[in-house]
Amino acid sequence: MSTVTNMQTHPSYPELTRYLSKYPSSAGALFQTFNDITFAQKWTNVELVDLPNCQRAGIKGLRPSSDDGELPSTCIVLPCSLAESISTSYFSAAFTSLGESAPKQIYLAICAEDSSTVYYKIGKGIVKPSI
Amino acid sequence: MAEGPIPLRVSNKKAYVWDVDDVAKLRSRHGICGMLTGTLPHLSQQNVFLGVPLLLMPEEAVFLVEKGLACLVDDKNAHHDPGLSRLAKWDNSRLKAIERQLALAEEEQEAKEHQYSTMTEQAIRKRNERERKKAFVASFPNDSSSSSTEPAGNVLAHDSDNTASDTRRGQDSSGTSKAGTAGATFTVHVGAPSSQLDWYQQSSHSFTTLASAREAGIWDYPSTPEERARCAVFRELRGKGYYLGIGTKFGGDYLVYPGDPLRYHSHFVASVIASPRTPLRPMEIVAHGRLGTGTKKSHLLCEWNEDNDVVTSFSIEWARFG
Repeated sequence: MSTVTNMQTHPSYPELTRYLSKYPSSAGALFQTFNDITFAQKWTNVELVDLPNCQRAGIKGLRPSSDDGELPSTCIVLPCSLAESISTSYFSAAFTSLGESAPKQIYLAICAEDSSTVYYKIGKGIVKPSI
Repeated sequence: MAEGPIPLRVSNKKAYVWDVDDVAKLRSRHGICGMLTGTLPHLSQQNVFLGVPLLLMPEEAVFLVEKGLACLVDDKNAHHDPGLSRLAKWDNSRLKAIERQLALAEEEQEAKEHQYSTMTEQAIRKRNERERKKAFVASFPNDSSSSSTEPAGNVLAHDSDNTASDTRRGQDSSGTSKAGTAGATFTVHVGAPSSQLDWYQQSSHSFTTLASAREAGIWDYPSTPEERARCAVFRELRGKGYYLGIGTKFGGDYLVYPGDPLRYHSHFVASVIASPRTPLRPMEIVAHGRLGTGTKKSHLLCEWNEDNDVVTSFSIEWARFG
């Protein structure tokens, strides 16, 4: 029995196919982040958003309530790889794509080759630290 | 209260403020703090309040001049040659000041002698005994106590307040005293601001625009896109009422305070991003974000868009998950 697994046989693959082929250079980061968000961070209502101005797809979903008692909120995650170059225009584009009802923050998921993913909150404007 | 622009004295392309009143005005009226740098070379500590001159960041000077709040003075050339008569006048007042100090010191000495002449007999006896003992001790060659320089019969008390000046009084044979000022000390006052000098002419060496200062060769900031971006970001944040300080201690360009730095801690460290397309490495986000979390500050990326002269700020914080 074949125990070979590859990206195509991964349960997440069908959903991601379109964007993995549209934006091949961010395919790895998107795949890694999508799985982390869906299975490890347990976000719900997860869907993909096309962000051509960022040359990648973003991941939108409902973030579960955090330990600080924050209510679940709709957030967008921008995946990127540790090795690549991004720019602040990506952040602007992500905020713009969310339209008028955009939350004040988006998340940047930075993926490393060993599959570590770190998340940073990017707030638009001067947002005071949340301690 | 029609006052002119505050003079920023430019030396070697840096803007200095030497007048204390101007330092106060810049801080209280315009939210420009600068950095006091006046100290002795071997005492340059950061946690001591230093004196004038106040050194401004180039962005601070640009901000002030563009708003018409300050002008740039070509400090070197504003110092004209005093000429013989002015020099003589200056020297004269210097010597007068010395004479006054010496006269005052003499008066004080006489007053003290008078005071002691009204002491009780017993007190006088005790005093003379003390003097004799000290003179005896001082008669040994390698004794360097200050009483060795006391002239015989001096009934002045040797309390600690007088020690310093008494040391020089009736100076010993070290031969350092000048004729006419034998053994007395006086203070030489060197005023900090040159504006008090007769031959300092700032009006003919002031520039109210950056362009004219640039033409005169005394100022050239900003001259690169990065420098222009810094000026734009500074202008934007100061315009919003934030006070800005140098951010090197926290890995950024500026420390951003909600009010006067003497009263508040900064909540933000800001980095200037020269354009929306300037390459940014994700590792920088990690570094800025983590440093912020550790120092209870957020990191700000302030992007300048040259096309529409808009500054957009993004704050970076660790997401606390993942």
